[in-house]
Amino acid sequence: MSPQKRVKNVKAQNRTSQGSNSFQTTLSAWKVKQGPSNSKNISKHGQNNPVGDYEHADDQAEDALQMAVEYFEKGPVKTSQNKDKTLEKHLKTVENVAWKNGLASEEIDVLLNIALSGKFGNAVNTRILKCMIPATVISQDSVVKAVSWLCVDKCSGSTKVLFYRWLVAMFDFIDRKEQINLLYGFFFASLQDDALCPYVCHLLYLLTKKENVKPFRVRKLLDLQAKMGMQPHLQALLSLYKFFAPALISVSLPVRKKIYFKNSENLWKMALLAVKQRNRGPSPEPLKLMLGPANVRPLKRKWNSLSIIPVLNSSSYTKECGKKEMSLSDCLNRNGSFPLEQLKSFPQLLQNIHCLELPSQMGSVLNNSLLLHYINCVRDEPVLLRFYYWLSQTLQEECIWYKVNNYEHGKEFTNFLDTIIRAECFLQEGFYSCEAFLYKSLPLWDGLCCRSQFLQLVSWIPFSSFSEVKPLLFDHLAQLFFTSTIYFKCSVLQSLKELLQNWLLWLSMDIHMKPVTNSPLETTLGGSMNSVSKLIHYVGWLSTTAMRLESNSTFLLHFILDFYEKVCDIYINYNLPLVVLFPPGIFYSALLSLDTSILNQLCFIMHRYRKNLTAAKKNELVQKTKSEFNFSSKTYQEFNHYLTSMVGCLWTSKPFGKGIYIDPEILEKTGVTEYKNSLNVIHHPSFLSYAVSFLLQESPEERTVNVSSIQGKKWSWYLDYLFSQGLQGLKLFIRSSVHHSSVPRAEGINYNNQY
Amino acid sequence: MMSVLRPLDKLPSLNTATILLVGTEDALLQQLADSMLKEDCASELKVHLAKSLPLPSSVNRPRIDLIVFVVNLHSKYSLQNTEESLRHVDASFFLGKVCFLATGAGQESHCSIHRHTVVKLAHTYQSPLLYCDLEVEGFRATMAQRLVRVLQICAGHVPGVSALNLLSLLRSSEGPSLEDL
Repeated sequence: MSPQKRVKNVKAQNRTSQGSNSFQTTLSAWKVKQGPSNSKNISKHGQNNPVGDYEHADDQAEDALQMAVEYFEKGPVKTSQNKDKTLEKHLKTVENVAWKNGLASEEIDVLLNIALSGKFGNAVNTRILKCMIPATVISQDSVVKAVSWLCVDKCSGSTKVLFYRWLVAMFDFIDRKEQINLLYGFFFASLQDDALCPYVCHLLYLLTKKENVKPFRVRKLLDLQAKMGMQPHLQALLSLYKFFAPALISVSLPVRKKIYFKNSENLWKMALLAVKQRNRGPSPEPLKLMLGPANVRPLKRKWNSLSIIPVLNSSSYTKECGKKEMSLSDCLNRNGSFPLEQLKSFPQLLQNIHCLELPSQMGSVLNNSLLLHYINCVRDEPVLLRFYYWLSQTLQEECIWYKVNNYEHGKEFTNFLDTIIRAECFLQEGFYSCEAFLYKSLPLWDGLCCRSQFLQLVSWIPFSSFSEVKPLLFDHLAQLFFTSTIYFKCSVLQSLKELLQNWLLWLSMDIHMKPVTNSPLETTLGGSMNSVSKLIHYVGWLSTTAMRLESNSTFLLHFILDFYEKVCDIYINYNLPLVVLFPPGIFYSALLSLDTSILNQLCFIMHRYRKNLTAAKKNELVQKTKSEFNFSSKTYQEFNHYLTSMVGCLWTSKPFGKGIYIDPEILEKTGVTEYKNSLNVIHHPSFLSYAVSFLLQESPEERTVNVSSIQGKKWSWYLDYLFSQGLQGLKLFIRSSVHHSSVPRAEGINYNNQY
Repeated sequence: MMSVLRPLDKLPSLNTATILLVGTEDALLQQLADSMLKEDCASELKVHLAKSLPLPSSVNRPRIDLIVFVVNLHSKYSLQNTEESLRHVDASFFLGKVCFLATGAGQESHCSIHRHTVVKLAHTYQSPLLYCDLEVEGFRATMAQRLVRVLQICAGHVPGVSALNLLSLLRSSEGPSLEDL
């Protein structure tokens, strides 16, 4: 092929970006066969070459790149005097194009071979490898050829290390991996080399399939481990082997360690982001999780659109399915694993659950509800390990406030977090990686970025001892809480309510599965209740302080009372032995609030507290033994105190006597003469408007209304009127807690337990 | 004449809250000041900027309600400057009227000061430490909002909450090291 023709040929391929290897790099290509002056002339005058069928603006850049690639192909020309300058110029060209747009797969093919063949020095090889950034994909043939150079040992050790790091970083961009998998034995043999070992382990971790796990390999790994000690990368590979063939490995592996490999992608991180960005196109809307059989296959995307969550791609889904006939060896080789792209319905999952092979890209599980079911049921440590590892890495890289370099990718990160939250919600449990991510990134969070997603992640933190979680999470959250706007405070309270709900649900499920007294797990029931109780007290403290900071805002009080609406029913709804009252700061703020709905909610909560406390007391009496969860009489005392204050204010018109006690002399000083009625259901500031409208309803033409005229029979009509206006909480409270007799009084709960 | 800043050496002006930002990054401080002044606030805000302390005594300035020391984690000089300036602040200021703000924590590769150094500094002076990458506009605006709220409390404009009270709320216990996770 004459050089001129070859230039044209390559150009044509660049335009259509085909992935085929029609541009062969034969061994003869870099032997200086054609007259060096001839080819050099053409390369030097490359820019004037009439290749110009294409009048595009980037022709010049392409030409320069072609020149550079050809220069490298020719190998070092020993005679030229300004060798270094030309070399530098061409290297710079390649680097510029690579970092800006990425290199086409043919160019990567050529340059990879050059770098590993040792034609140029170590420094040049390193620079070439560092800029091997693909525009779209890397063909597996180039990788295979490159690996074949490793056998010849022409390049230095450090170049080999860099090559493996590059391979791990670019693993996702290699179009197919069957041939690379065939080289498994070669890679495995490279484990001998101490310098290469960690990176080769990482590569093997990504490549391994069930059929690669052989007894001799297991023995080899164990030998290595005996020689080098407990290395995290060896552990990773062993855990993966154990997953595929648990019978072969009897040595126990540590359970807690979740993160094995150092992030060796650092060199190419920025570039990888750019590649993903390029290939993505418009950022897709987060997909709903597919559940029923009527749905289309989950992800119908072009191969080139790579997003944060990888496309579902089963390792064994071969292209042979299109062929009419398969050879016998193919039939025998198929390990019978079910191709994941065909998994569409739940019955299908159940039928094939024994032969499902999880994709090598664990992250693609996030978008597929069936696979989420699967990993939840399988409960295998290595599967979860791979998943958590991918999740930790991705969260760390993509977080936009933790690593400010990524600030432009805000929308994608938000979508990604949404997907994670949907998956957590679907599985009804939190992921360890998210928890770790929260603890790490919370100190740097500004409170506004991805707020709703972040706070939802907070609500999915798995249950653990409150004292452990407090310094990691709550102290930092409190710092933000006290210095931010009222809306942030309300959002935090809401997410803490959901956190409480999740904890209560898990605990109530747990109780049915293990005996009350001694359990093999870390916490006893008493310990768990203690932790929940501490959480509730903490939120109580946050709420009271927030009320002070926001000057008793009604808006905030709504959220606080929502939280306590959940708390008051713990005993009855979740069957857990816990009753925690709200703090006085909340109770009195609500009682004296100007908003009727607040008062209504307060009445409802008091009614529920009463129900829970009486149920708790009854159960204790019935069981006739003192259980370890003795509700202290202090709780009952406090409740009765609240109840007395409330009834005294609202009903019996004795507001400042037994409940909220204020000295009569002080009351005189206020100058308010008629204070006794001032807080009852007629005169309370929040009810006054109802009283007036009630009277106006009766006699609409009245110019003046005397609310004090509501007495006797009118009083009960007035109450009915109130109930009809939607104040159901008030209704329940009055019916249950106020004793209707000639002398109305509060019905407190008798807390003197007699056994 | 010792020009040490004292919190109560002047009378407060009516409905005015004054904040002093001390730091070596002029451009960032200016931008932060602009963001703060854009905030909706019932009190009248005054923002003073200084490269370091002591302040020149010739200028007539109102009583300062809150001092924020801005430390740039990318520059050792910034930390040095802050440590020098801290000596010119009276001890009674540290009852809730001083705050440290660390910028640049998001770009770990550029950090020449370890985060732990600043954490220790804040701990020594018993004052809260806030993080914000001031170069990013979104983060800066949120931090400005937070500083305005802290300032209002320090100036006494929020009934029932004092600066010392807020300080005790913001002080968190030293947690376990994150490397163990």
